[in-house]
Amino acid sequence: MRLDELASKIGAKVHTPGRGANVEADQVYAGDRISDLLNAAGEHALLVSNLASTHLVRVAELMDIPGICLVNGQVPDAAMLDAAREHRTLLMASPLGLFETCGRVYECLATEKQT
Amino acid sequence: MTTAVYEIKGGDYERGGAASRAVKQQLKQVGADPAVVRRAMIAAYEAEMNVVIHTQGGELRACLHNGQLDIEVIDTGPGIADVEQALREGYSTASPKARELGFGAGMGLPNIKRNSDRFAIESALGRGTRVSFTILLKPQALYGAGRHSVQIVAERCRQSLRCLRACPTGAVRAFRGKPEILDYLCIDCTACIAACPTGTLMMSGTVGELKPAADTVLVVPAAALVQYGAGVTPQRVLDELTALGFREVRVVEAWEEALRAAVVAYAKAEAPVAPVISPACPAVVNLIETRFPSLIPHLAPFLSAIEAVRGELGGRQAICVALCPCQKTALRIGDGVQPDVLLPAVLRAAVMPRLNTNPPAGHGSSALGGGASADVLRVAGLRHVVRVLEAIEDGLVTDVPVIEPWICDKGCFGSPLLAEDAVLARSRWQTAPVERQASARAVRRNVPFEPRKGLRLDNDMTKAIHKLARIDKLKRSLPGGDCGICGAPTCAALAEDIVLGRAHPEACPRQGQSTPPSEKESGT
Repeated sequence: MRLDELASKIGAKVHTPGRGANVEADQVYAGDRISDLLNAAGEHALLVSNLASTHLVRVAELMDIPGICLVNGQVPDAAMLDAAREHRTLLMASPLGLFETCGRVYECLATEKQT
Repeated sequence: MTTAVYEIKGGDYERGGAASRAVKQQLKQVGADPAVVRRAMIAAYEAEMNVVIHTQGGELRACLHNGQLDIEVIDTGPGIADVEQALREGYSTASPKARELGFGAGMGLPNIKRNSDRFAIESALGRGTRVSFTILLKPQALYGAGRHSVQIVAERCRQSLRCLRACPTGAVRAFRGKPEILDYLCIDCTACIAACPTGTLMMSGTVGELKPAADTVLVVPAAALVQYGAGVTPQRVLDELTALGFREVRVVEAWEEALRAAVVAYAKAEAPVAPVISPACPAVVNLIETRFPSLIPHLAPFLSAIEAVRGELGGRQAICVALCPCQKTALRIGDGVQPDVLLPAVLRAAVMPRLNTNPPAGHGSSALGGGASADVLRVAGLRHVVRVLEAIEDGLVTDVPVIEPWICDKGCFGSPLLAEDAVLARSRWQTAPVERQASARAVRRNVPFEPRKGLRLDNDMTKAIHKLARIDKLKRSLPGGDCGICGAPTCAALAEDIVLGRAHPEACPRQGQSTPPSEKESGT
């Protein structure tokens, strides 16, 4: 599923579009520890995390991850937005918590697989 | 050998990761495999952040040489009290601030160790720590893999250059006086074999003799049964083959019919898009995966007839007559029985003498053959197939539910490996088909169709764009007549070959002829 499409389906707000319109995501990794997210990295992954900082964008950049979703309605600060813009990472923010956000994403990807 | 040194400031979370990013750029420039780059990045970033989180500062040295990346990360203290403990997963001494930012999971050193090919750590309390690791770089294959069964017998080549133009994907080159095939473009069809006047291009890896055995199944395509002239019915040939002493003789046509019925049913009940394209001809499937990837959803998810037959051999010995390289490839790749592959000419040589001596046998009941269905549009012949696929791509084919494309004329009857004319052979098959075989059925594919990777100009996007610009410029300087004398099928292909280093920069014998004489003279 395209990342921007996924964002609208799970009710997340897209802050920076990145390469999102052209990138398909079929994997989701959620976590609040950088090391875990590093290991989970993939070219078609979406990172879901509480870590609203530039480091998350850095991880996405180093590991070629196309998209990040912040949770709990967090608003990315200017530094994070700049970093995301610079590295063309799609940055979205979900009003829901980590668990619920992942649940919605899972639902979207699972329905897509069936059809 | 290039060594780069990057300073890392202790406590500077803002800039943490900058050194890793610089190393990544270097790796991309040398064309390292993306999976290797990812491993290198995990290790480098963890090592770099360790310095930021735990120390007063240090540096990261990255050295690229002999196909490997050596990284050394040195800091000036405070050092690790218990290195063994620090290497254990989950052990961390990170500050609350670091933990808040998502670091300090106690995974740093284990992560580095796991992702590197060599890892070492030394530390002295009060003096500092030195972490060094090596990552072996594999250059990334620039081209996607392609498998084909076309063989080149170079000494037969008389440089007619017909193969260059015949190839539907422009996969043939003749730069060094003989044809070569670019594997990633070859779709394993018969176009170059049919075009070659001297037999330079052939199907590879066939056996030279038909050896009947009581435990062996013989698999023959219908077209191979109608190569014996007027009056010799396919049933007669089939009877003679059976009499040679095989356990069983199977005619591929039965599986083609089963496939046709299954594809029609699929088109009615399940197909996500219309029209449905039958995967009957493996070369057509290759053509779609290479040149028409947007049509992949149109392909019905079944095995071709020859693959289905092979799957039902159940481990028995088999000899298969293949009419084209793609059938041979389909018989050889993947798991399962690897049957001997026979050229139709070898079968013919074995059958011919029997036809002269034995009395003709009676006809069987007419059941297998024809296979025409109102729902299925058969498109045969490379030129027609390409044009119809283009039309489907443009959304212009809305009136036909199922298309069955075949690369060769009249389907397999037009294979260049057969002696009889395609129209005559097919008509003889249709007027006197053979008895139906009961067990034939269509088989669903386990592996989905996938677009071929094709050519990448460069792993580095910047360089690739640069190359693209060079190709474009070069293309405009070439005559554009696509004469093929240089050995490339088109001027555009030559431009690409020159930029990718496959062809000599001055390979074009006519370059400059279209430019004004004064310019030409100054150039020579």
